[in-house]
Amino acid sequence: MAPTESAASAAETGIPTGTGAPNCVSDLSLDRALAAELWRGCDAARWGLTRDEFEQILLEAGTAQNFGLTSTATPATPKQQAAFFRNLCVADLALARACARGNERAWEHFIAIYRQPLTRAAIAITGSETLGRDLADQLYAEIYGLNAREGQRRCPLLSYRGRGSLMGWLRTTLAQRHVDHYRRTRREEPIQEFDAPAPDPLPQMPARELSLLEQAIAQAVSSRDPEVCYLLAAYYLDEQTLLEIGRVLGVHEATVSRRLHRATDQIRKHILKNLQRHGMSRRQAEEAMGADTRDLEVNLKKLLQNSQSEAFQEQAAS
Amino acid sequence: MTATSQHGFHPDAESLSAFSEQALEGRERREVLAHLAVCGRCRQAVALAREAADAGDVVAAAQPRKAIAPNAWWKQWRLVWVPTAVVAAFAAASISVYIEHADRHGPNVKIAEQSPPQGPTPAATSSPTEQAKVEPPAAAVPATPPAHPAKHAHSGAEKPMPAPTPPVVGAQMPLEPEAREPGSMDRVEVRREAQQPSHAEAMQTPPELTAGGMRSTASQPASGAWETKHEQAEQQRQAEADTSRMRNFKAKAAPFAVHGANSAPPAGATESVTAAPQFETHPAVTAEPAPMLGNKPFRDVTTPAKPIQLPSGLASVSIASGGHFLLTIDKAGALFLSEDRGVTWERIPTQWTGHAVAVRQQAGDHGSPQAAPAAQNPTTGGSFPDAGVASAPIVSFELSNDKNQVWESTDGRTWTPK
Repeated sequence: MAPTESAASAAETGIPTGTGAPNCVSDLSLDRALAAELWRGCDAARWGLTRDEFEQILLEAGTAQNFGLTSTATPATPKQQAAFFRNLCVADLALARACARGNERAWEHFIAIYRQPLTRAAIAITGSETLGRDLADQLYAEIYGLNAREGQRRCPLLSYRGRGSLMGWLRTTLAQRHVDHYRRTRREEPIQEFDAPAPDPLPQMPARELSLLEQAIAQAVSSRDPEVCYLLAAYYLDEQTLLEIGRVLGVHEATVSRRLHRATDQIRKHILKNLQRHGMSRRQAEEAMGADTRDLEVNLKKLLQNSQSEAFQEQAAS
Repeated sequence: MTATSQHGFHPDAESLSAFSEQALEGRERREVLAHLAVCGRCRQAVALAREAADAGDVVAAAQPRKAIAPNAWWKQWRLVWVPTAVVAAFAAASISVYIEHADRHGPNVKIAEQSPPQGPTPAATSSPTEQAKVEPPAAAVPATPPAHPAKHAHSGAEKPMPAPTPPVVGAQMPLEPEAREPGSMDRVEVRREAQQPSHAEAMQTPPELTAGGMRSTASQPASGAWETKHEQAEQQRQAEADTSRMRNFKAKAAPFAVHGANSAPPAGATESVTAAPQFETHPAVTAEPAPMLGNKPFRDVTTPAKPIQLPSGLASVSIASGGHFLLTIDKAGALFLSEDRGVTWERIPTQWTGHAVAVRQQAGDHGSPQAAPAAQNPTTGGSFPDAGVASAPIVSFELSNDKNQVWESTDGRTWTPK
């Protein structure tokens, strides 16, 4: 499709010409052979998407993410475009965008494919059939565009960019909504499975050694790389199993176990080193390491949260 | 995170989903991981989504099983054919290898399975037809050994052979096919090789090829009234086909025919389908009466009337014979000698190292000072249908141990390393 045709078609169908993307849609064109190959691969004609609409969706998704390039100075070559689109779930992306446009056949297809899995996922997330169905219906209504803002329908599917599968996106959206809902409604209650509040600090001042130990622990934990911090948080704070952590990271649970073991060993060595740097002998450092943890004022959650970058301070969902 | 983050400070659902599906790489993955390390909300969302995905996978995996449940038994049975085919192929390969092995070491294998011979059966006069079919090969030892003695040893009376001198006794005493063990491989071979002439017989022997050159009336129509030209043409075609088949068969049998001393067919004999190969391959029909067993025209010493009863009580694994001598090795590796055709056995003291595994016979040159045992005992050698009686080759024995070392002996009692 020619860029001018794409722009005209976008104007007719009401599809935004980019979500925060550089305004260069009209300056870019999609490689014809690549578009034909992707069109054949996703079988989008089944849900009533035309070839022009399909190419427009691709072009929009590509320009919104600059075809995966960091530099916007030069337009993406056909090879770069192909590499970008082959990393996307193009069929899911086309379906999501067609549904966001209000294509009835696309909706029928979406419901036929995702209705039951979505409901099952919601039930699994909430642990209750009633709550799960409510959650799924709420998301359905939102996806269908019943929510309007400033006179325009807002469809969450527009935020789907094809990076992962559409089903994964739906499940994660459900999970986010469930966690947000849980936090809003039960903010005052202690959450059993995660975000356990830290115990109140003891009134008395810790001894010097304990203070040194706390500092050493804080330094050791905060200097860990993100994966180690994630492992520690997921295992010790969230009390997830090795299997659950492994599934998220895409590794075997034995690998998770080894990494955890290695991480705790390294932290221990790091703490010992920190203690010795603060003037303790090796023996004193090891004795300090044997202190009762109940005497320590160490909040791992706080330590981990303090070690994060300022850009990701947690905020309540709006 | 990115500009499309849902809450501005958390990764959006797509990034978390892509992270969970291992679709993120490099910097993006590290960013999301760093956020997950410090954000309980996103960590929990990812964990819940992952849990839901696993539950969905389990349900999705369970559904197809329900769908195919009515036909599940059939689909499972279809899968059974795979291992069955593998087993069948393995069995076929094993049989093939076994046949090949039996071809190579046929006589040893056969003899090991056979029982010791019975005493000499009083010879009975056999009919000329039987004699023609079953020639005693006692005097048929050729001066020159055949090119493939092991292969020749497989042939029995139905498959005429030029009486080779194979290394073991069974080869020198061709067995009647009916007298062999049912499972014996050489019997299968004999059957296979004898298929051609038998088939030719069954296929309406051509009148012009019957013995005596007379046109067979049995194959003629009963009355000439209904004999049409078409039938005559049919018979002619059939006769031509049989003639061609016979020619092929003779061509196959021709290599065997050159070994016999009297290999030329009887003068003026127009070979019949059954007689032709016998004349060609069993020319040495001597005047010696063939030993008889019951109404069977011939039974040699290797015919298993009953199993060998060795003093050790163990089964025999290898047998060789020369003249009236029988040598056998039992499973324990002990060597036994019998001079009365297996009635009594004498254990030979061990004069070799290792574990004796095989004993075999070897024929020597004519005229050697050491006469063959069979030749030294004319009373038994005469009635015993063993090779070497007429031509009296020197019979020596070889014994090999499990290390392939060989000892030889001419009398079966004294063994010297070879």
